[in-house]
Amino acid sequence: MAGDLMLFLPEAACLLMALTLFGLSLPKHQDQRRVHSWAMGLSLLMVAAGLAGLFQEGHLFFEAYRVDLFSQFFKLLLAVALLLVLGICRQLTGVEERYQPEFFLFLTTCTLGMMLMVSAVELMTLYVALELSSFSLYILVPLRSGDNIDVEAGVKYLFIGITASCLMLFGMSYIFGAVHSTYLARIADTLPLWIHQPGAVIGLLLTLSGFFFKLAAFPFHFWAPDVYQGAANQVTTYIATASKAAAVALLIRLTALSAGTSLYLLDVLMVLCVASMTLGNLAAMVQSDLKRMLAYSSVAHAGYALMGVLTMTRLGYSSAMFYTLAYMVMNFAAFMVVVKVASQGQDLKISDLAGLHRRAPLLALTLMLALFSLAGIPPTVGFTGKFLVFAAAMRDGHFWLVLVGMINATLSLYYYLMVIKAAYLTEPAEPQESLAITGPTRALNYALIAAMVALGLFPRQVLELTEKAVRNIF
Amino acid sequence: MNPGFPYLSAILLAPALGLLVILLLPHDNRRAVRWVSLISAGVCLILSIYIYAAYDRAAAGLQFVERASWVPSLGIFYYLAVDGINLPMVLLTSIVFFTGVWTMWDLQHRVKEFFALMLLMVVGVYGVFLSLDLFFLFVWYDVSLFPMYPLIAIWGSTRKEYGALKLTLYLLAGSALVLPGILYVYFQSGLFTFDLVQIAQAGLPVEAQYLGFFLFLFGFGVLAGLWPFHTWSPVGHVAAPTAVSMIHAGVLMKLGAYGVLRVGMFLCPQGLADWSPLFALLATVGIVYGAFVGLAQTDLKYVIGYSSVSHMGLVSLGLATMSVGGISGAVFQMFAHGVMTALFFSSVGHIYDRTHTKLIPDLGGMAKVMPRASFFFILAALAGIGVPCLASFWAELLVFIAGYQAYPLLGVCAVLGLVISALFMLRVVQKTFYGEKNERFAAAPDMTPAMALPRALLAGTILLFGLLPRLALDLIDTGVAPLVGMFK
Repeated sequence: MAGDLMLFLPEAACLLMALTLFGLSLPKHQDQRRVHSWAMGLSLLMVAAGLAGLFQEGHLFFEAYRVDLFSQFFKLLLAVALLLVLGICRQLTGVEERYQPEFFLFLTTCTLGMMLMVSAVELMTLYVALELSSFSLYILVPLRSGDNIDVEAGVKYLFIGITASCLMLFGMSYIFGAVHSTYLARIADTLPLWIHQPGAVIGLLLTLSGFFFKLAAFPFHFWAPDVYQGAANQVTTYIATASKAAAVALLIRLTALSAGTSLYLLDVLMVLCVASMTLGNLAAMVQSDLKRMLAYSSVAHAGYALMGVLTMTRLGYSSAMFYTLAYMVMNFAAFMVVVKVASQGQDLKISDLAGLHRRAPLLALTLMLALFSLAGIPPTVGFTGKFLVFAAAMRDGHFWLVLVGMINATLSLYYYLMVIKAAYLTEPAEPQESLAITGPTRALNYALIAAMVALGLFPRQVLELTEKAVRNIF
Repeated sequence: MNPGFPYLSAILLAPALGLLVILLLPHDNRRAVRWVSLISAGVCLILSIYIYAAYDRAAAGLQFVERASWVPSLGIFYYLAVDGINLPMVLLTSIVFFTGVWTMWDLQHRVKEFFALMLLMVVGVYGVFLSLDLFFLFVWYDVSLFPMYPLIAIWGSTRKEYGALKLTLYLLAGSALVLPGILYVYFQSGLFTFDLVQIAQAGLPVEAQYLGFFLFLFGFGVLAGLWPFHTWSPVGHVAAPTAVSMIHAGVLMKLGAYGVLRVGMFLCPQGLADWSPLFALLATVGIVYGAFVGLAQTDLKYVIGYSSVSHMGLVSLGLATMSVGGISGAVFQMFAHGVMTALFFSSVGHIYDRTHTKLIPDLGGMAKVMPRASFFFILAALAGIGVPCLASFWAELLVFIAGYQAYPLLGVCAVLGLVISALFMLRVVQKTFYGEKNERFAAAPDMTPAMALPRALLAGTILLFGLLPRLALDLIDTGVAPLVGMFK
């Protein structure tokens, strides 16, 4: 029993955190600072639990739940993402005050759902876990004070999300029909025999669509720009980091089911990959709102991540995992700057960044590095991630895919440079006050800068970890 | 040769360390920022001169080797070494870097950021020249490119934002071909190593070399100013501030040619044989085209920009001859042209700072107003024309001989191109420095002796290598000979 608890440690910590926050949300008037401090403390505990549970292995709940390095890696990533997002929630100016305890609560339940999701190896468990995280987000997205745009974003997210869920359930029913089991291990044994049947491929693709939605990959990307813009900046940060990590994890688990035997599946994934990259980058070029631009850029990045996944090789999976980590770090850094610069919780136009290098040199530097990293310029982690993903694709002989990927990376540089130009070159129309940066923010900035460069130049340890993690996904 | 002390790592780390120190310095301490930059540049220069002198020419081959496994599962190595090809490039970088920092001593606007970015760029340049691992070579290649954007866009002049954006997108589009090339070679070799030497020794399948060389030729070729992908170069040079033009035209463009040579030709010798007629043709078109367009320019920096296109065409032509003479000449031309262009931009930078114009019709009679600055410009112009006793003479001579032997028609065209460029250089010198004096600038101050020193260093290098060409050529031949052996 104690051993089982050890296996369940990160989730247990998350559950504890959710329950505590629930308790704190009950009183009518609650000091937001106090709730935030509790959340930070508990989330630190969760990261510790994630670290302690990193090398656990075993099964729980009638084999429906699998704990291995792969799942634990992602759980740790999710715990860190939650901690980071909470770290920039000290001043929750974008969320109405009376909802703030609930805000923390739903962030936690969402993380819990994702943690359960990455360990789930049975279709029903998977679905329930996914819905837990999705419903938390459906609530979080409209939690924004002020204008009307939040309602639109919330409704859009809800409808597209539910559609994706329906498609997913429909796909699962196909898979169940083909192999008469909901256990992924059983499906993995049987599915390669069935994979040449259209039904099996369609089932698998529809099942994947739930995670294409989370990842904002084409053609499930329509919610991204509106939701990124419409949700509170902190929520957007969470969606852009943690949510993507969980989606990549599940895409890896599910595509691994076909064991690389289906050329048809490969073709579809390639089309989605190219379409996501190209569409995301082209659309990002014409955006004037920073969060919208980052939303389209996330569509493009979904394409890069897919490139690693679609090779369906160990190298591909491990590089996709590395890419997810890289994406989380650099995207968080970019959004952290958004949250700090938009101190009233407002939306941020790219032109609002004018003169940032004078108002807050450190934030400007972090932003520049994060954007160069997103564009895949060395020696940042974004480059190393792209390099690994491209290497995996090239190894599989997808020369053209790599070339398209590189052309896209060059395209993306254009709009990232426009933001850097705004932050470093353009002078604001009227002089603006410099932004006050507190000690912890300063430390966070240094840590992010160090992480982006260090992971880029010294990928060895993390890479060894991800390679070990994908060695046996089943 | 001393295997104990990691000289090459020291050269790579000196500017990186300087960069860190500068980042930690307070914004208003400009003096300290300048001194840190100059000291790190000085350390690099001394170390480079030392390894240049200490390199054992009789033993040849790779020396000062430092090799350690970096990511074993992918076959990435931290692998630094020098041979006859990259050693002159390292020396060139150090000379231009050192004089560049000195030239920018009087900069007042956002000093800390300027020197930080400049050091970052130089780290990248050293990294490319010293690394023999394809992964790191690419990493450093991009590191040397992206600081150009802020450097030009913030501190530049004429159409700076356009120039910076065009340059960055062109160069990174080039690297978008290089990366697939590197990965392609990595998997085609079947060795799963990024160790350049190992792949070259094992040899690639002939059919893979065809595509491989194509990717490297056009990927790196963009940075080498290969016609018709050169258009970013004059625009970028004109827009860039003085020291950035110096490093950019003097060193960075050489990275492109070096990439074609070190990666393309070492790994795909058979591919070179397939593509060399096209390569030579584009190179010659570049020589002639650069000279003609230069003829029509009225902006001093545009003149130098187009003459660079022309001179870099000579480098490409030399490489395309596939002979010891041609390739040695090309490498020597990279060195000589680097020093010469740095001197050019350095002199123009001074004139522009004092008169706020670089338009030839506005200037005139500058030889009387600024004798020192004029002397350096005219010396650089003479070197560009290929006057004997100056370094470029030998380099251009070697390339012309080899070019004529390999491609008689193109060789003749190239010589004609040079004659035209001599014509336009002399015209520029005549109009700018002699003739009618513009009274507006009669009181413009000349270089102080302290600011003339870095220019004198560059001029001295041109003279030294012009009088003693064997100082470089003997060394370069040791690196080129084994490469040419691979063509057979």
